[in-house]
Amino acid sequence: MTDIQLSVRDLQKTFYPGLFEASIEVLKGLSFEVARGEIFGFLGPNGAGKTTTIKAITEIISPDAGEITVCGLPHTSLEAKKRIGFMSESPYIYRHLTGREYLRFSGELLGLERSGLADRISGVLDQVGMAGRADRTMGTYSKGMLQRVALGQALLGEPELLILDEPMSGLDPVGRRDVRDIILNQAAAGVTVFFSTHIIPDVEMICDRVAIIVDGRVQAIGAVSELVSEEPTSYEATFVGVVPSDLRAPLEAHHVASGASWVRVTTENHDRLIQELGDRGAKVISLEPVRMTLEDLLMRHYEESGS
Amino acid sequence: MRAVRAIAANTFREAIRDRILYLFIGFAVVMVVSSKLFGMLTVGDETKIIKDIGLASMQFFSMLIAVMMSMILVSREVDSRTVFNILAKPVRRWQFILGKYLGLVLIVAANLVLITFVLMLTVLVVAGELDLMLLFAGAMTMLEMLVLAAFATFFAVLTRPILGSLMTLAVFVVGHMSADLWLLTRQLPGALTRAVIAVVYYLLPNLERFNFRTEVVHDLAIPGATVGWAVLYAFAFVIVVLFLANLRFRGKDLK
Repeated sequence: MTDIQLSVRDLQKTFYPGLFEASIEVLKGLSFEVARGEIFGFLGPNGAGKTTTIKAITEIISPDAGEITVCGLPHTSLEAKKRIGFMSESPYIYRHLTGREYLRFSGELLGLERSGLADRISGVLDQVGMAGRADRTMGTYSKGMLQRVALGQALLGEPELLILDEPMSGLDPVGRRDVRDIILNQAAAGVTVFFSTHIIPDVEMICDRVAIIVDGRVQAIGAVSELVSEEPTSYEATFVGVVPSDLRAPLEAHHVASGASWVRVTTENHDRLIQELGDRGAKVISLEPVRMTLEDLLMRHYEESGS
Repeated sequence: MRAVRAIAANTFREAIRDRILYLFIGFAVVMVVSSKLFGMLTVGDETKIIKDIGLASMQFFSMLIAVMMSMILVSREVDSRTVFNILAKPVRRWQFILGKYLGLVLIVAANLVLITFVLMLTVLVVAGELDLMLLFAGAMTMLEMLVLAAFATFFAVLTRPILGSLMTLAVFVVGHMSADLWLLTRQLPGALTRAVIAVVYYLLPNLERFNFRTEVVHDLAIPGATVGWAVLYAFAFVIVVLFLANLRFRGKDLK
């Protein structure tokens, strides 16, 4: 048994929209690995290639080049697919089915034993908080309810690898918390969770590791704490008694409001600023270190890529 | 096969919960029952006219149901992206195609059973005659619909719904003009034109092979070999066309 549950190597995909339209290179040699039991966040702006990668893993599209393995098996094999629980970006469902019928249909596609299927469905409906509304047709469901049922069908086969495409997008705070709890519970039970998102707090809150994808390439990968340094990148000071234009220390940014001055300096100029403020008799109201956030990192890669 | 069965059952369930199906079936039943009216207004054997109009209605509405429902049920699955959740499961694309096709066949079969029953009942009431040959005609129409549904499935994965419907409709029309096409390949001037028409003739099914209306209405003998060949012909076309549909769908990127 391998400890790598999902391996994606040098994935490439170009779409050809039409005869007279330019081709779109969406994935440009994307590679990453997800280890067993991890909650792995796939973070990137819209159009970065997150959903295309997930579609390639789940065989909804065929990559032009590259290799994907799930639990050490080629991702196209039925054995690999049996181990995956997948929830697509928007809850694409059958309006004519009830939630329970939809789960039964999903169970049949998964090849689950008929004998225990009804109990399994009831268990999953409980888990996603839909037990009381499972016998209504899904055409009457709200988006949050659809999301829960869609998550239910992903959990139904007791997957080893849970692939969730934007699982929290469009949910209210309660729904987001519920989905987050389900993800955490699954991970606690040993399930590997791979989920794409552009919602940074979700990643910071629950992910063991994260890959930042911009313009079809992985730009950074690692634990959030590794990617985002604990060391401050700059300092922000608020003071009175001196105006920023009188300071000789190089300032990154500054402004004056209601008689108080605000400046930002790099860590290298921190000591010089403190010295100068002391020398000029300024009264320092606050001095705060500024650390790089995941959002800063994402924005930096986004800007560097020129997307 | 469990996945195929599940997809077929879901397709059938989706259709029977769709109002548009009942509209078609309603029209078909009204046409069959009102054939009595045509029989009264037309010179000739009233029973034969009822059978003739009834069988024509059966064929026409079955064709409409096959064309419309295949486009609705197959294209809807792709356009609404519900297919994503199917294909991400341990399901092969050919299983999806076969499941959709069989679901469609079930819908057409259910409709044909109903219309055949209504037609037999109408004939029984009007002429006091239980004509079992109407069952045979219904079965032959079903064979035709098997072929047409295969084409409809193929066009549904090949192109947009409206264009696919028109192409299936074209197969139905041209398929009933095969004899004329054959004549054209003999009589038209220009080798290229004749060659093009010959290609169309050989590529598209001759749906008249399944038309035993005249024989059933006029109680004519039907050679067993003709029926046997018609069955083989239908299944050969179904296999080839579904194979092509699978070939097209297998390499298709779904967006």
